Amino acid sequence: TSFWTTQEDVTGARSGMYARFRSFTDFNLYYLGESRSEIMGTGILNADFRIPYFQNRLNKITAPGPDWGSIYTVIHDINLILKYAPGIAFTSESNKNNILAEAYTMRAFLYFVLVRTWGGTPLLLDPTESFDPATIYKPRASEDEMFKLITDDLAKALELFPVNTYPTKRGAWSKPAANALKGDVYLWIAKRRNGGESALNTALAALQEVQKTDVALLPNFADVFSYTNKGNKEIVFAVRYQDLEAVNNYSGDMYIRDSDLPPGVDAETLKKIGLGGGMNWWAPSETMRKQFTADDKRKDKSFVEIYGKNAQGNPTFYTSIMTKFSGFIDANGRRFLDDIIIYRYADILLMIAEAKNALGQDPSAEINLVRQRAYGDQFEKHKFVSTSKTANDDEILRERLFELAFEGKRWWDLVRFNKAFDLVPSLADRKGQTNLLLFPLSETVMSRNSKLIQNPGYE
Amino acid sequence: QSVKGIVTSGADNSPLPFVTVVVKGTQTGVTTDAAGKFTINAPADKTLVFSYIGYITKEVTPGNQTELSVVLEPDQKTLNEVVVVGYGSQSRETVTTSISKLDNKVLENIPYANAASALQGTLPGVRVQTTTGQPGAAPRVIIRGGTSINNPDGSSPLYIIDGVIRSDMNDINADDIETLQVLKDASSTSIYGARGANGVVIITTKKGKAGKMQITFRQNTTFSQLAKKYNMMSARDYVYFGRLGVLNSAKKIPERMSVLSIANSFGTGNDLTNRTYSTVQYLTPQNQYKLSEGWESIADPADPTKTLIFKNTDWQDVLFQTGISQNYYLGAMGGTEKGSYNLGVGYLKSQGIAINTDFRRFTFDLSGDLKIREKLKVNAFTNFTNSGNNQVFNDNQIFQRALALPPTAKLYFEDGTMSPGFNRSIGNPLYQLSRYTTDNHLYRLTLGGGLTWNILPGLTFEPSTSLYVIETNNNSFQKSYLNGPLAFIDSRVATGMRQTHWQQQVDAILSYNKSINQHGLDFMLGASYFDRKISALSATGQGASTDIIPTLNASATAVAVSSSITRQRIISFFGRANYNFAQKYLLSLNARYDGASNLGLNNKWGLFPGASVGWNIHNESFWKGLGLTGVVNILKLRSSYGVNGNLGQLGDFQAQGNYNVGARYDGTAAIQNTVIPNSNLKWEQTQTYDVGLDIGLFNGRVNLLVDYFNKRTDNLLTNLELPLETGFQSILTNYGSLQNRGFEVEISGTIIRTESGFNWNAGFNIATNQQKILKLPANGNERNRVGGVLVYDPETGKNEWRGGLQEGGRIGDYYAYKQIGIFATDEEAAAAPIDNIVPLASKVKFGGDVNWLDVDGNKQINSYDRVYLGNPYPTVTGGFTTAFAYKNFTLNARADFTLGHTIYNYTRALYNGQFVGENNASNDILRSWQKPGDQTDIARYYYADQQVQSNLFRQNSLYFEKGDFLAIREITLGYGFPSALTSKLGLSNLRLNVTANNLKYFTKYSGLNPEEGGQDNGRYPVPRNFIVGLNVSF
Repeated sequence: TSFWTTQEDVTGARSGMYARFRSFTDFNLYYLGESRSEIMGTGILNADFRIPYFQNRLNKITAPGPDWGSIYTVIHDINLILKYAPGIAFTSESNKNNILAEAYTMRAFLYFVLVRTWGGTPLLLDPTESFDPATIYKPRASEDEMFKLITDDLAKALELFPVNTYPTKRGAWSKPAANALKGDVYLWIAKRRNGGESALNTALAALQEVQKTDVALLPNFADVFSYTNKGNKEIVFAVRYQDLEAVNNYSGDMYIRDSDLPPGVDAETLKKIGLGGGMNWWAPSETMRKQFTADDKRKDKSFVEIYGKNAQGNPTFYTSIMTKFSGFIDANGRRFLDDIIIYRYADILLMIAEAKNALGQDPSAEINLVRQRAYGDQFEKHKFVSTSKTANDDEILRERLFELAFEGKRWWDLVRFNKAFDLVPSLADRKGQTNLLLFPLSETVMSRNSKLIQNPGYE
Repeated sequence: QSVKGIVTSGADNSPLPFVTVVVKGTQTGVTTDAAGKFTINAPADKTLVFSYIGYITKEVTPGNQTELSVVLEPDQKTLNEVVVVGYGSQSRETVTTSISKLDNKVLENIPYANAASALQGTLPGVRVQTTTGQPGAAPRVIIRGGTSINNPDGSSPLYIIDGVIRSDMNDINADDIETLQVLKDASSTSIYGARGANGVVIITTKKGKAGKMQITFRQNTTFSQLAKKYNMMSARDYVYFGRLGVLNSAKKIPERMSVLSIANSFGTGNDLTNRTYSTVQYLTPQNQYKLSEGWESIADPADPTKTLIFKNTDWQDVLFQTGISQNYYLGAMGGTEKGSYNLGVGYLKSQGIAINTDFRRFTFDLSGDLKIREKLKVNAFTNFTNSGNNQVFNDNQIFQRALALPPTAKLYFEDGTMSPGFNRSIGNPLYQLSRYTTDNHLYRLTLGGGLTWNILPGLTFEPSTSLYVIETNNNSFQKSYLNGPLAFIDSRVATGMRQTHWQQQVDAILSYNKSINQHGLDFMLGASYFDRKISALSATGQGASTDIIPTLNASATAVAVSSSITRQRIISFFGRANYNFAQKYLLSLNARYDGASNLGLNNKWGLFPGASVGWNIHNESFWKGLGLTGVVNILKLRSSYGVNGNLGQLGDFQAQGNYNVGARYDGTAAIQNTVIPNSNLKWEQTQTYDVGLDIGLFNGRVNLLVDYFNKRTDNLLTNLELPLETGFQSILTNYGSLQNRGFEVEISGTIIRTESGFNWNAGFNIATNQQKILKLPANGNERNRVGGVLVYDPETGKNEWRGGLQEGGRIGDYYAYKQIGIFATDEEAAAAPIDNIVPLASKVKFGGDVNWLDVDGNKQINSYDRVYLGNPYPTVTGGFTTAFAYKNFTLNARADFTLGHTIYNYTRALYNGQFVGENNASNDILRSWQKPGDQTDIARYYYADQQVQSNLFRQNSLYFEKGDFLAIREITLGYGFPSALTSKLGLSNLRLNVTANNLKYFTKYSGLNPEEGGQDNGRYPVPRNFIVGLNVSF
């Protein structure tokens, strides 16, 4: 073939990799990372296939969740880059190393998504360039093998990144972002795979590396998500969404179109909603909404409750909408093209707090940084003071709900803290059925490869 | 010596114009005039030959007569006709392969926008499906089941039109067609090598003949109507059941109650402003006056103390109209010994039965030949067409969703402006279609020419070349519009697309034929070069500040630009040898060697041989000795075997793998690997074995053609589903084998023929096709299954994989849940198996819910309880024709049938299940379960069924309907004015006809179009047409 000869081929393939990664994050990352948590419930429209997610009634045929095709497509792109780029001459060796490091980080992130979702999955380290029935059907790898690959890829990436800075607009993997991922991965190893203190120390060290870079909490919570403020200083890595490049992402399914508004909505709510758009397919659940206090500045930039009026003229609850990612408005109406944030500094701070607490250190400093911004002049009422390890963990997990709701992280947070059965109402009656923490392999995935074995409980 | 005379037809004793009269063995000839008269100079001892198309040639030696009266008998013997074979023609008597020829009568009365429609039910083994009523749209043509596993409906045949290879016969004016034939078996199609496996349709257009100029003028006017409507509920029923449906859903999801009071199609949040799309509201003193303006009222079923008012609109009446079409054709032909010409000019303007859909076509066909030397003839032809149409923006949104726009929706607001409907996709079609404009044009130009050089007696060399150009020019513009009353969209997207298809062909054929005593021999050798290049350019822009300028230059922003160039070349060598001994024993051998640019590096060339034999038993002396010739005058046994190729779904550069461009990330251009290379790709190979019998009875009164075929396609060019872990959905590869086999029977004859001029002819044909997957690549699954569903099999007592693709199975089998009844009461429902398909945590069922078949009897309804519910592909097709003639009147009728296909009527399921939340339902709901004890087959009506009990959404067997149909395709009454009158007017022919087309479908299918299996997502209904036609010749 004539492709894979010049450095432009590699940079084009890099953009191709990110574009397909973006397709995966449109919806699927959210379904995998958050939809099963206590965050979402029914909206006013037919939540249909989303219902089994938040009700935790997954089933390999009728409700398997997204299949892994959209992830492995990106892995194929990565494997092509890792195979061919090393043999291609670049005018700048550090540019080449940067692309290779991005590819390794991306692969580590995707296998981390895969292993948290399904457990061990087939390990593909080479691109698919021909069809050979003898080798193309691969069995599932063990979780050990998955984590070995993830940590190896991260080690290679961190070695290859030439600088510890961010690309402009922070729309790509970088050394700080790889460290953020490393912290995330080692926290999981520590808490889910008996990684012990050494894993916690590795996580903490990696996360503290991020702190050394050009990153900070923005003073105003809402500014982090403003459409005109993409790639701000709080962002470590966000998937770039842009008009004419990308389609509306999952945030459009949690808003509301004007024609669905009930009569009698008060003016203040209408102002918060602005021009309607998207669909209220599903909505923030009552379980999560009622935990926010009125003085939490994050509340309005997370969701808005909508009340209509009943026959007596009294307000009655109608539905709620997600406001964290409300897009922008043009001649086509409201467009949901906010970047999808993979890591940001508040997340890093709370992960540091989590690691410190697990190591027996005081996590207050990091938690309070987050709370100071959230409560402003009401901060003293909400100031965190370290108590027991367990109580601290509960507080950290709850803080992550307030801070990171709708950012596609909640389900994995619940699993990492081992609190899914305690905090998700739809799982409360199934305590002990830990097999439910994994997703089923869909019938489509199973029917295409007879070497795959179904996850327990989903046969 | 001068001989005069008159030629008349043996059928009706009328004079025959344009009969060629030639002095045998010379070039001297004349043609008869409008009154059938001729004068010719001929020596008395010479024989005169009288010939005319459709009549048996007659030889008369005048002797000393100077006044002749010659009667020509119509040629009834289709078994003696001449048929066109690949690169040549042959008498039916010596043909040993399976070829069907269209009776041109079916082209006479209906102004087909696409002449392929005329094949429907007229040729056995040719499945023609009218999948849409869009004016000008091409029907689907599949010969003997096609050859594809992945896309069985995409196996379209190869079309050869005056020697030019094409992928369709679009825009060929039916009035220009001289002959149309279908080559079905591999021995006849293997002369087209790598592209012949799906069958070959050969069309020749009209050519000039020696004689005085003959001018033909035809005009038709067609009135098109919607033949069948959906039985949709009235506004009154919709409001009633809509509100009850919410109460029903609220039994499980109490939050649903809120939709009763918002501004939706049955909710009370509407008012008389432009801010709500529906009319439904509570009666108040302020709106009471509407009741005197045609609004209706009912008591609110959710709160009977209140009165609801609303206005009814039938959206089918808004969308559909009576379409009027005009078709004109003017033809002129003639010539001399030296040369001849034919000219045809046509114009068709056709209106659809849906508003804003139409079709326009101009056709121009000119051909001629000239003898430039004694042994050298040159011919040239040109065919130009310009067609264009307007289409709706989305068939599903218009023919499914807009028709289900609730009848309570406003057509106009109070201020007289048009209401947009719920939104664009469930919109007021009158408004939404008016906001979308298209301008589509297609130009086709064919130029061709060649030489015929008779080098020696029997030896002919025919080089020819052609150019075929298609220029497509499509533009669309979305004016600013209301996407629902509150969402004004003014992005004004404009698109423009240009595409040029440029195809050159050079062919050369050397043929030789010779008879030595009883031995008849002919040989043909040829070579062909085919070069096709397609270049395309398209752009999309938005942000124009006005609705007045629809072109891209008004756009403020370029949304997308794209261009592409693709090319394919094929070089071929081919040959054929025919031998017959005394017209008794027939043998034909042929082969083609093809090389194609788009095949994998390792397999660019392939050889495709074919062979066939035949035995004319009726020519044997022992047969004549049996004395049966009076009953069986023709009896031929024939058999053929051949190998074909097919490049069907192979893209020009697919074998090399693809890296796609066009995507962007963060402003940078992306490159993505989208196709895996496969350098081993080769054509799929089809072997067909065919055995046939031609029988002529009672001196040609009855003709019978019978064929059995067994077609096996190996190395299928198919998309193999890959494990998703590979990063790909599929790879195009050669794998697997597919078998199609069946019978074809064609019978035609004259039932009554009387001296008084009453004739009755009839024909019937039927074909069966059975499909079976023979082989799939080994993938570790049982029967090497790909895809499919796991269901319980009562025979084996185990869960088994069914459907998908499996060895021994068919393509496309449906599996879904079987409704065995509707629970009459809550108690009955409570006693039934637990239904795990209900999406909610609570699986409680009520009276009115569906009672599902628990196949494995485990008291649980789950995915294993799905059963076989049919297959989308027809197994039997065929048709009837009948023609009565009495004096100057003719009455023709034609019907066709298709059996064996099942349609998933998703449209009806969506309507009755209120899947969208804002859609009308069919009148089925009037007999739905409403109170304990009700016995019915229609489940209780729920708002958003899929969210509650999934009585319909899971796929309910009730909505898998048989598509079997018999269509009355044509009834024509014709009247030819008597020649005594026409000759006074100076006319040779004057005929009027009245025709009904697509008159009626006899079918149990409840949707609008039963012709296509598969899921019905809303189809443009096939119109019923009434045609008045005039045909004049002079």
